[in-house]
Parts: sequence; structure tokens; C-alpha cells
Amino acid sequence: MALASRPAQRAFLGSGQLGFGACGIPRREAYEWGVRSTRKPEPPPLDRVYEIPGLEPITYAGKMHFVPGLARPVFPPWDRGWKHPRYHRSPPIHEQPLYKEEPCYIFHQRCRLLEGVKQALWLTKTKLIEGLPEKVSSLVDEQQNHIENQDERVLNIISHARLWHSMEDIPKRETYCPIIVDSLLQLCKSQILKYPSVARRICAKNHSLSAAWTRESVLLQVRGTSGIRLSAKDPLPPIASREEVEATRNHVLETFYPISPTIDLQECHVYDLKDDTGFQEGYPYPYPHTLYLMETADLQPHRFHPEQLRAKMILFAFGSALAQARLLYGDSKVLEQPIVVQSVGTDGRVFQFLVLQLNTTDLASNEGIKNLVWVDSDQLLYRHFWCRPVIKKKVVVEPVGPVDFQPETFRKFLALYLH
Amino acid sequence: MKMAAARCWKLVSRGRGLSLHTAAEAASTATESTSTDVATTPVARYPPIVASLTAKSKAARLRRVERWQATVHAAQSVDEKLRILTKMQFMKYMVYPQTFALNADRWYQGFTKTVYLSGLPSPPVEPEAPLDLGALRDAACDSLLQEHFYLRRRRRAPLREEPETVVSPFLDQLVVALMGLLSPQNPVLASASVDFKRPVHFYWLRGEEIIPGGHRSGRIDAVRYQIDDKPNNQIRIPKQLPEFVPLDYSVPVEIPVMKCKPDKLPLFKRQYENSIFIGSKTADPCCYGHTQFHLLPDKLKREKLLKQNRADQIEVVFRANAIASLFAWTGAQAMYQGFWSEADVTRPFVSQGVITDGKYFSFFCYQLNTLALTAQADQNNPRKNVCWGTQSKPLYETIEGNNVKGFNDDVLLQMVHFLLNKPREDRPQVLES
Repeated sequence: MALASRPAQRAFLGSGQLGFGACGIPRREAYEWGVRSTRKPEPPPLDRVYEIPGLEPITYAGKMHFVPGLARPVFPPWDRGWKHPRYHRSPPIHEQPLYKEEPCYIFHQRCRLLEGVKQALWLTKTKLIEGLPEKVSSLVDEQQNHIENQDERVLNIISHARLWHSMEDIPKRETYCPIIVDSLLQLCKSQILKYPSVARRICAKNHSLSAAWTRESVLLQVRGTSGIRLSAKDPLPPIASREEVEATRNHVLETFYPISPTIDLQECHVYDLKDDTGFQEGYPYPYPHTLYLMETADLQPHRFHPEQLRAKMILFAFGSALAQARLLYGDSKVLEQPIVVQSVGTDGRVFQFLVLQLNTTDLASNEGIKNLVWVDSDQLLYRHFWCRPVIKKKVVVEPVGPVDFQPETFRKFLALYLH
Repeated sequence: MKMAAARCWKLVSRGRGLSLHTAAEAASTATESTSTDVATTPVARYPPIVASLTAKSKAARLRRVERWQATVHAAQSVDEKLRILTKMQFMKYMVYPQTFALNADRWYQGFTKTVYLSGLPSPPVEPEAPLDLGALRDAACDSLLQEHFYLRRRRRAPLREEPETVVSPFLDQLVVALMGLLSPQNPVLASASVDFKRPVHFYWLRGEEIIPGGHRSGRIDAVRYQIDDKPNNQIRIPKQLPEFVPLDYSVPVEIPVMKCKPDKLPLFKRQYENSIFIGSKTADPCCYGHTQFHLLPDKLKREKLLKQNRADQIEVVFRANAIASLFAWTGAQAMYQGFWSEADVTRPFVSQGVITDGKYFSFFCYQLNTLALTAQADQNNPRKNVCWGTQSKPLYETIEGNNVKGFNDDVLLQMVHFLLNKPREDRPQVLES
């Protein structure tokens, strides 16, 4: 796609300054591009002499001043002599050291997949099972797992996150979503008396994950830093038995022709194929237990749809499981001991729960054993929260507080934590 | 007889109105109190003679102030009380707990009527449950190493942003881990609420000054202060911590009196919203404070102070931060319970604080005995607030690779003791009391 010269590119984009990230053209200061009265004058065009090949132009460079008959000298661009971090110009893509001919499709934390869960399942060679596995559901129903005053405390947590924690009348999602997740984790952690294994876990934020694999000769990568990762000292035991794992051999992955499975993934020619769990070697909590992903954007169009959030959860859980598998077992094969990673995604009100079992790292072909994922989607913790009481004709119709609280969702959250 | 009585009536009333007013009030109150048993003294047959409400006089101003104070006393809910106390905005000093000002802790002691005692108060005698120090040390070292070494972040943060990117998550992790490990022994921690970087605000009046200029120049005006603090973490509990010393404990140490105006500190005035906030609104059941954890910013770190030849200010920074933050927090807690300067606290409010810059930790305990700091309320107030504190000690010597060298158990033990502090109801009853 050969665009015209730079002025034409900028004219095409319009008068608004879109910034570097949006169009790839660096933003120019007002002196160069802005108000007409302050704009830098265009450099004069080169002399005709330079267009004739084989002719050596005689310039006034040596004379150090303008001479009417001689050509205007062209000097090489000024070289500072040392690298200044503010004025660094990246080399063009073809000359970057990590440039490769074959493109790699990278999934990062803001990728919104068009086909949602179906696309995520195809990319990770996974079979979907609706509902949480029995091991986790049994933990949900077990009475002894319940914390005392559980419902009351969860209601307090909801009110604290949605209303009490800030001085504003109606706190924004960017603040209340992380507070809800942190408080629920804190509540779950108080179960340390009944479950001493809870002490062998640690939370980490800002970790950067990267995992790379091939699917039908297409290079894929998951990269990014997203949410909270709960790591444990002991691995999660596999959920599906060997027979169930073998049974997935017959499962056929759903394709969505004519849409390419790499739609909405970022196509990159400059990439580095590496598998990085996000932690150095010798980390005392090497096994990823649960990933908590949060959708905190205030505006509805900026937030992920539940389908897209579930796809993101599948891919990130898969990425961390794959990085762990490559670390433990090396490359491409069916795993003896499947790796299980859980994930919880939320926007502060609706929760999505996910358990992924990585059975194989042999992902290039569509045949063979598939990985398994159990998804429990769209669990409301509460339907709505009134920050101000609804008063009609001087009677309080709806008091301040959550509406339609569902304790089942927190029980599932707790079960996933205690698993 | 009647005429004569009426004449001296008028003479007396035109003379000293104020004294009659007080006399009449005294008479009326006396009659109210004794009317039930003895009906000898007649009820006053005229309305009480009081100063005007709208006149341009000191008595009128006093009456308006009393009327305002009566509205606060009569307010039904705490929110309403706080609203009436904070709704009028005037110029006030902004007190920053983390400040580079020289000898700020002495100034802050004056502003908050706090006595500073070095050394922590002796813990109450109670049977010590065995502590698994190894597990606690492992948890602390794990959090430390995770943030400093193991976690591979996307962008290597520059050194000047190290507190926010490295030490702050470490503190969060440490608090959560220690709370988890200690909750079997201290059940209040299981029902506590942890706040991460939530604001704490407090607004109070102390002392008086003469307004230097403007249309009100020459008049006496109260001095207003506001603290807007953001501790890294704080733990709030539903029940109150027990007091360290009795409410009217008289400390022999004097509060330093500064001879200059607060402007010399430097302290600047601004007019903005007066807010009183403990970290969550009044409806929250966890309305009492337990411990706050503060992180010193990069510009107040030790190396910088040493380079500026201010080695003695290192401890001052810790102390000033503790006094200001803990006073603000305990004051706000007291106001959430309905106390204010005219309705002084009937029980002391106690909180603890840990101030750190990532490596050096210092521990502080604060007991709020009095909120009556305004000129009017402080006239006969012998109570003082007390702050106990330690010197800053390092938690570890260095971190080399995945090894923490020179881990100091005392600092960890002190933090553990702080976290094990529990309300009086939860304490095992000591036999002799």
C-alpha cells in the first residue's frame, strides 16, 4: 500500500492531531505544522542539477555564503554523536533487529476477539464444557466452607466498594472494581484456619506474561500484563481423568469460515518468540493458581463484552499454563501431568469463572488431544446498586444498597479460591 | 409599690443587659431544677434578656456562635453534624504529613496538642501465644523478594519511581500476608477491612490569630488546618482498640510552643472543601482504626537528606508524618462517633502507625485524648494527645539476587505485635483484674 508523500498522508488524516499511536506518523509541533502565522517555512526545493545523474554539482559550501550562480549545498543530517533518549528515532521496521518475514499474531490485553469464545477455543485447541467441574461445585455446596456471616460480610464489601470507600457520591468503576476484587480476596484469605494451604499462596500484580505457539502454521503469541495473579507453591491437581482427556481426541474444533481465526489479533513482524511466566527462576510460588481479570473502564463502549472478556480469560489462562508447561516439560508433547489454571473475570458486578486444563502442548495440528476448559459465565453478584435512595412522593421506594444480591456467586468465588 | 417595682425594673434592665440575662437564665434554670420539688421561687414572667442576634457587637457574635453550636449539638445524625461543622469554607493551612520542612514534628505537635514520647507504651500483660516466627519471616522475605527480584515487570522503573512501583506493592503484600497468618490469633483481623491508598481527611481549628489585611483586618480569627493524607494501607476494625494510658493521664513532658506564625514552617493557606474522612463513609461498620502503613516518597529519602547535610531531619520526617497522619485519623474516627471540639471525647481513640521508606521502619502509637483544640474549648483543658514512637530501624541489610541479607527479626516482631493488638472484648480476661 504505497501512500503518497508525507504531506499527503497528513492531509488524508485531517486537521486533528491524532498522535503517534493512532497513525504511525510522528506528531509535529505547532512551529512546523500548526497555526499558519507561526508555521516554519517549507524548505526550498533542490536544484535541478541534482536530478541529472553523473553530474557533480558545484555548490557554494566552501565559500560559506550564498553565491547566485552556484547550487545550494545539501548537507548530511546532523548527527548528535550520542544517544539522547528524547530524540530517539526508531529505525524503519525492515531494519529492526527482531524483524522476521513471517508475521506473528499477538494477543494482548486490549484485543477484543470478534468471534469471542469460539475463536479463543480454536486458537488454543480447547474443548468447552459449560458449568464448573464437579470438584469445584462440590466445594461450592459444602456447608463447612462457609465463613461466618458470609452474606452479611459480602454485602458490606459490596456497599464499601460501591459507595463507602470514597468521598464522592457515586464512585466510578475504575476505583470500585479493584476494591471489590481485593476485598473478596481478603475475605477468602481469612479462611486460613480451615484451609492451611491458603497460606502457601501469594498475589502478584504487574507481572508480564509471554507464551508463543503455532496453530496450523500460524505463529501466535500471548503477551501482556493483566490483573492479579494468585500463585501457589503446589500445583493444582488435574480435574479431568485420563479417559475424558482421551475422549477429546474425537472432538472437532469449530471453525468460523470465512472469518480468519487470527482476526483482531495484532499482526507483528518485529517480535521475539519467548516463553516467560513473568517471574525469575527459583520463585518460591511457581505454579499459577488463578488469574483475576478486571474490566475497569467507566464508559460502556470501552469495556469488554462478556463474550470478549471470556475469550481474554481463556487466552491468558492458556498462556500462563503454556509458559509453565514449557518451563517444566519442554516443547510439543502430550503432558503426563496436565496443568490446571483458573481464572475469574469481572467488571465489578458480573463475574465469569473459568477453569482451564492444559493437556497437550502439541498445538500445530487440529488432531489429537485437546485441552479442556470449564466456563461458568455471567454470574451476577448483585443486579444493581443504589448509591442514592430512590424517593417517590416523599417515600423511600428503594433504599441505599445492593438489589438482588446472589450469594451463590461469592460461594463460587470462594470455591475457586480454596480449590 | 407596683410603680416603684416597675421603675427599678426598667433601670436595671437598661443598665447591664448581659448580667441580667445570665441572672435570668440562672434564675430560670434554677427554677426549672427546683420546680419539681419546691415551688417557692416564682417563674420569671419575662422572656430571657439576651444579646441581639444581628447587631455589630461582640455579644451578638457570641450569641450567633452559640446558636450555631446548638445546631451542631442538636443534629440527629453524624453526617449532619459533620456537614454543619464543615460547610463554611475559609482560608486554612494545608498540613502535609510528609514534608521536607525543618523540625516539622515540633510544629505539628503544637498544632495538634500532642506530646511525643520516645519508646512504645508497654504492652498489656497477657499470656503470649506461641508465634511461628519462621513462617512470618518467610512470608516477609517472599514478599520482599517477589517485588525486588522475582517479578519481571514490563518496564524497568527508574530509581526515582521505586517507592510507587516496588515498595508499595511489597507493603501491600506484606500487610495481607501477615494479616492472613495472624488472623487465627487475632480474630478481629479476620473481620477487619483493609484499604489500599484511600484518602484520609481531617479539618480542625486551633488557636487564634489577628487577620493581617483585607476588609476584616485587625479582627481575631480562628486558625484552621486541614490534613489530606493518603496512607499506603490502613486496617479498620469494627471495635475500638483499648487505651494505652487513662484519658486524663497527665504527661510531664511539655508541648513545644513555636513563637512564629505557622507560615514560617512553611505552611500555606488555601480555601477548598473541608472534609473529614477516615477512609470510608459513616455507614461502614468498620469505623475504628487499627494500623496505618505509610510510605515515604522518593524526595524524602535518607540518601537525599544526607546529601543535603540534614542527617538530623531523618527522624523528624518519620515523626512528623506519624503525628500528623495518626492525629488526622484518630480525630476523624472521633468525629465519626459524634465528638467534636465542644463535645469532647469521653473515651480515648487509639491507633497505630508504621512509617517506612522501603528499608527503614519506624513504629508509632497514638492516643487521642482531646478534640477540644479551639481557643474557646481549650481554656481549661488539661488533656493532651500522646504519641509514642521509635527510631527507624532497617528491616534488612541488602538484597543480593534472591537472597535477603541481614534480616532483622526485631522489626518484624514489632510489626507482628502491632497487628496482634486486639480490642478489649477479644482479650482473654486477665485473672487478677
